[in-house]
Parts: sequence; structure tokens; C-alpha cells
Amino acid sequence: MARADENSIPAQIATQAVNLAPATVISIAILVLWQVIVVVLKIPEAILPTPTRIFGVMVERRELLLQHTWPTALQCIYGFLLAVAVGVGLGIAIAFSRLFRTGVYPLVIAFQVVPKVALAPLFIVWFGLGTTSRILLAFVIAFFPMVVNTFAGIQSTDPVMIRMARSFSASRWTIFSKIEFPTALPYIFSGLKIGITFAVIGIIVAEFVTAQEGLGYLIVFSEGNVDTPMLMAAIFVLSVVGVILYALIVLLEKLVIRWDVGQKL
Amino acid sequence: MGQGGRDQRQIQSGQGLIDARPATWRLGSNNQTGPGPPFGAGRDRGFMAENSVHVQIAALRKIYQTRREEIEAIHNVDMAVSEGEFVSILGPSGCGKSTLLMAVGGLLPISGGSIEIDRDAVTGPRRDTGVVFQSPVLMPWRTIEKNVLFPIESLGLRVADYRDGAAALLEMTGLGGFAHNFPSELSGGMQQRVAICRALIHNPTLLLMDEPFSALDAITRDAMNQELLRIWQEFQKTVLFVTHSIREAVFLSDRVFVMSPRPAVISKIVEIDLPRPRTLEIEETPEFNVYVAELRKAIEG
Repeated sequence: MARADENSIPAQIATQAVNLAPATVISIAILVLWQVIVVVLKIPEAILPTPTRIFGVMVERRELLLQHTWPTALQCIYGFLLAVAVGVGLGIAIAFSRLFRTGVYPLVIAFQVVPKVALAPLFIVWFGLGTTSRILLAFVIAFFPMVVNTFAGIQSTDPVMIRMARSFSASRWTIFSKIEFPTALPYIFSGLKIGITFAVIGIIVAEFVTAQEGLGYLIVFSEGNVDTPMLMAAIFVLSVVGVILYALIVLLEKLVIRWDVGQKL
Repeated sequence: MGQGGRDQRQIQSGQGLIDARPATWRLGSNNQTGPGPPFGAGRDRGFMAENSVHVQIAALRKIYQTRREEIEAIHNVDMAVSEGEFVSILGPSGCGKSTLLMAVGGLLPISGGSIEIDRDAVTGPRRDTGVVFQSPVLMPWRTIEKNVLFPIESLGLRVADYRDGAAALLEMTGLGGFAHNFPSELSGGMQQRVAICRALIHNPTLLLMDEPFSALDAITRDAMNQELLRIWQEFQKTVLFVTHSIREAVFLSDRVFVMSPRPAVISKIVEIDLPRPRTLEIEETPEFNVYVAELRKAIEG
């Protein structure tokens, strides 16, 4: 952590922009190469459309794309927030309650072995084809990293720091809220970053299966119509949604964690 | 420390005078003929009651239960520390001296005997003690000022009332310009100074220090020792200081309790009658080195 001016959010964004420059150049080079290969080899559009064609579709049919983007993005956020609430809560409960640690934590780990995607049909049976099923699938996929990271973060608290707090008559709540929770925050944010990408996967898989609305639905629908440019446009928009959601978490992390995490004092 | 702190301290000293403490108390386990006035020449203690006992440890035992056996970390320790006295507990690593200090701080349950502070049995952490640990244990997410103010929050006091006190303490320890920095921006010595400010912020009467400078380089350590004496002189706290450095113990203390391992007992008590205020030059004097030799002999048994 250095002076405020080096550490301000605009300054950080500027630094990020410089860091991203090589990746941007390479991305553009790949797109150009892609375009050239498809044109020169005369690859059929149904197999691989050119990047310009895909961007053309994104502009021409932006209303259809946007119409399906909103439900996907919103449901990702709902599923994710549910996973944060339950996952972080359960992680805290496991850290503090022997009953949860011995009784619930092994079940959570065992449950992680189940491929969650396989639950999608079951959720449809239970909750129907609506948003509930989709949000719940995103939730069950995203919540595991939150539980594990919250628990691990609380456990990583320096015992001497707890002893220090006790020496100043700290209550159990003070120790949790002022020492253990801040210690766990960087871990929790790692969990959030994994969780948000998992939530996107959950929503898309659920949209494949429920086939009602959303970018996942648009992808399978376009595939049925052999409309590959639309299919790839939907994938691209989906990636943008994923990146934006991830970036929001990173931004939040930068706002919350302003200290040097690596330092043990 | 603000004006309020000073007033309070004077009231406490005054009470010490009026307070009818028992004329007799348990003596140190051996070697010591009486607690006596422990203060070196040249140190003005004002009207403080010189022989009122602040910390009284009697027949203290601490047993750790491992899976196979019982380990006796402290065998049978008696100790009396007067108000305003600077006492070091000196011994090799693993002799139980830190255990003893943590027990006085109410941070470890004891297995037998008693610890009393101001004739009040220690059952847990007290509001009138401040502990400095071997590592600074600062919270990396808090600024220096907020680290220093942590005990105030923890004790449920009004933070606003202690802001000036924190600023004064930081100023006094040469950290005035760092109140809004994060701990990672400070050197090890500076961090430990922050930990000392934190231990003093709530104006405790007893300061417990567990090898606070052992992680610092020799030069920083010398500087910190001098600074600690200056702080002690200024605030007139009772200090219980654990160390494994003989020279450090002699330089700082009014009395040095030598602790030996297996059995973990106080094997010798040495009164350090060197003039105060002390500066590093005192380490060159023959008197200083006589004490060092005496303590080394005591440790080597």
C-alpha cells in the first residue's frame, strides 16, 4: 500500500489499461487471422462465420440479443447473491460451531462430488421451467467455493492476534467482527470471483435445459436453426456479461481491501 | 496521553498511599531477603507508595496436559512486584517465562496457586493491564491510529475521547507522521512501537511485555530499550518484562527474576542498583558487567 494518489481507483484503472495492452494487441491479431483464414479457405458460414459477420449480427439483431441478455445477467446475479448469503453464512457457522463442522461440513464436501449440472432436470421436476430452477442451479454450483473459502479464511486468523484482542477484554463478537472477518475477507473475495463464474455456468446450463429465455436459450435455438453467426454472437455477448460481472467483483474487492494482504504483522 | 490520563494516575497513586496494604507478604521464593525499595538511586518516584505490592504471585503452578504426560511449565513460583517497578523475568527459551506472563495477563488459566493484581485475584484479562507481544500483531487492514485505538473499541470506551491520547503517544514514540499509514508501510521497530502505544492507550497501570524486541536487530533493539525506559519514566507504569537477553534485563530493570527450566522455578532474584535515567553508556561500566556476570552464572546454574 502506498500513497493515496498511486492507489486511487482512476490510477489503478490506468495501470490496468497499460497491463492489458499486450493482450488487446494479441486479441486483435487473432481476429484478423481468423477473418483471413475464413475468407481465403472459403469456410462455410454455418461452420465458422467471420468475426465481421458476427459483429454485424450483434449490431443488426441487438434488440433480440439484449432481450435475452437481461434475464441471463439478472438470474446470474440472483443466483450468485443467494450463494453468497448461504455460502458465507455456512462458512461462518462451520468455523464457529462444532456441530456444523462435524455434521454439516462433510456433507457439503460430499455434495461437491455430485456434478451439479446433472441436477438441472431434477430441479425442473421440482420447481418447473421458470426462473426458480435456473437461479437454484446457479446457486448450488456457486455456493461451494464461498463456504470453503470463508471457512478457510476464518481459520487462517493469527492465534496471537486473537490473544492480543483477548488481552484487551475483546468479546467473542469483537474478535469475529474486527479480526476474524477482516482476515477472511481476501479469501471470501477469492470465493466470490470463482463463484460468479460458476453462477454464469449454472444459468446457461439451466437455460439450455429449460429453453424459455436467456442467452443459453438463444444459443440452443440458433443451433437448431443452423444460425451459427447468431450462435456465436450470443456466446460473445455471454462472455461480455461474464467479464463485466467478474470485473464488478474485482472493483468491489479493490474498494474493500485496501491493505497489503501478503503482510503478516 | 491527555491531561485526563495524568489526573487519573495521580489519584491512583494517592489511593496507594491511603490503602492499608498488609505489612507482610509472601517473599520471592529464595535468595531475596525482602522486597525492599526496588528503585535505583537517582530516580525520583515522587510521593508514590514505594512498597505497595502491585502484582502478587504465590505458589503458582501451570501444568500442560499432553496426550501422554503432564508437563509442568511453572513449578512453584512466588513473586511480588511493587507499584511502578520495572521487573524482568530472564530465562532461556522454553523455561515457562512467557507462560508466567500470559497467566498474569489472565490469558492462560493456572493450575495452582494464585495471582493477584492490586490484591484482586486474576481470573481473566483485566482492563488495567496492557500487553505487548513478541510480534507487533497489528491489524494490516487498520491504519496506525486505528490500531492504537483498538483497545478502546474492545473495552467499550468512547473512541473520540482517546484520539488525542493516541496522537500524543504516536508523537512521543516518533510516529506522529504515520497515524494514517498502514502497518505494512512501517519497519519492524516502528511496528513494535505502535504495539507499545496500543498497550498504553487505555492508560493501564501494569504493562506486560513478552520479549517485545527479540525479533529486532541489535541496533534497533538498543534504541527501543532506551525508548521504553523513557516511556516508563514518563508514565510510571509497573512493567513485567520477559526476555532471554541478560544485557537487556540488566539495562532495563529494577529487579531481575531468573527463571530456570525443569523445574520451572525462580532460581535467583537480582536487584539492579544502577543509577537512572540510564543510557547505553552504562553498559560499559564495571557495575553493569558485574550484574551481567552474576546473571549469566545464575542461568548456567
